[in-house]
Amino acid sequence: MVPKRRRDGYCAVMFRFRPATLRAPVLALVLLAAACATPPPADDPEAVAEFRETNDPFEPANRAMFEIHEIADRFVLQPIAEAYRDLLPQPVRDGIRNTLGNLRAPVILANDLLQGNITRARITLGRFMVNSTLGLAGMLDVSRDWGVPGHSEDFGQTLAVWGVGEGFYMFLPLLGPSSPRDLLGQGVDIAMNPLTWLGQGAAVDAAGWVRLGLTVVDTREALIEPIEQVRATSLDPYSTLRSAYRQRRAFEIRNRETPAARVVAPAGVTGFGQGVTAPAGPDARPNPAAAPSR
Amino acid sequence: MNRRLLLAFLPAAAGLFALPRPGRAAVDLARATAFIEATGSELVGAINDPALDLPARRERVAAVLRQAIDIEGTGRFILGRHVRQATPAELAEYNRLFDDIIVRNLSARFGDFRGVRFSLGRSQQRTEEDALVTTVIERPNTAPFVLDWRVAEIGGRPRVVDVIAEGTSLRLTTRSEYAAVLQRGGGRMEVLLEAMRNQIALLAARESRS
Repeated sequence: MVPKRRRDGYCAVMFRFRPATLRAPVLALVLLAAACATPPPADDPEAVAEFRETNDPFEPANRAMFEIHEIADRFVLQPIAEAYRDLLPQPVRDGIRNTLGNLRAPVILANDLLQGNITRARITLGRFMVNSTLGLAGMLDVSRDWGVPGHSEDFGQTLAVWGVGEGFYMFLPLLGPSSPRDLLGQGVDIAMNPLTWLGQGAAVDAAGWVRLGLTVVDTREALIEPIEQVRATSLDPYSTLRSAYRQRRAFEIRNRETPAARVVAPAGVTGFGQGVTAPAGPDARPNPAAAPSR
Repeated sequence: MNRRLLLAFLPAAAGLFALPRPGRAAVDLARATAFIEATGSELVGAINDPALDLPARRERVAAVLRQAIDIEGTGRFILGRHVRQATPAELAEYNRLFDDIIVRNLSARFGDFRGVRFSLGRSQQRTEEDALVTTVIERPNTAPFVLDWRVAEIGGRPRVVDVIAEGTSLRLTTRSEYAAVLQRGGGRMEVLLEAMRNQIALLAARESRS
């Protein structure tokens, strides 16, 4: 075996062959090399610039994860989300989304403060207090009806405000598009969430799982049309999602959500969208001729 | 050349750089807003017209879109650096396919918007050449959403160059998409053109089914 070294790649694989002791690490490194994208030849500066800008050094691995996710999504998650939409009337779904969003308020408040945004922190706190009391434990978004809509914050956005770069692109099954910064942010958010630590026992655990399950289904239900749209009209859904995710995150970080778009303080746990808008009504359907599978 | 002459020429040079690029004049905010309002009203009229059936509605919407959007310029932007690597025949084919795809895509989306209403939000001058006009689209039984239209002055009249939905720009996303297809096809235009033809066939099949 010859020592391999790529000087201009993002993942340079360099190892020296030692018999017998290093089979597993060697195999791991070979797999890692296979998961890495091949950078374009150095004599094509525009292609190199584009490769750098895309910042997706693990593209083959990401695409594999994307395929796995698409299968799981089409056969499990999407039918569940559609059944959820069909079975539960809109007011109930509204109530669930509002409650989940309200439960996230402590995390959003903490991140508002960490970003030094006192105005938004006040809004979050006010909404939490009003919606938890007058809004019947968060089921009714009374604050929005009074003209104070919610917004989304998470630790990934806080890190961005603190100057941490996005990092390379990652696609994780079920979680969706992500990046090292955003993944770390989600971890910190879970640790910051008082609900993670509150209480113990079987009932509390069960409530926690129910909350997680509802969050995932609720977020997926909000994304039924956008994802159908992408699947039907995109030449390459993987890169469409990558681009859309990055633009969306940049938009969220800039805190430019317009009040006209009724962002419900989101329960978003998946990378597809931390901020989701109010649920679709009973007549909302994806296009009747559903996207043919490709 | 002595310093005084150079200093004298500097404002003139600066003035030259400040001139808008050929083909694109500075866009007037009021004109851009009025243009979006007019286009939006036409689209809403076409979509909500009770006298037309679905294919006729799509035709009307397609006609309005062709007029309002700078399809050729957007197509060039989306192709990016690959414009230089394509042959004239390939470029012509690309323009034709791109026109078809974009009109079908957008009219397929808008065609389902029965009962739609839109209202103008604020407008802002993004750059000297672009204006950003914000509209709020309301459909029955769905939350209203915000659509931003980027308007530039092309060939003497305002035209749409981009649609931005909640921070996601359609032409940036499409550029990323086409770049990925080209990159995976080894940079050959024929791969992209083939993918576009397949896409059009799929869209046409969907239209005939619904």
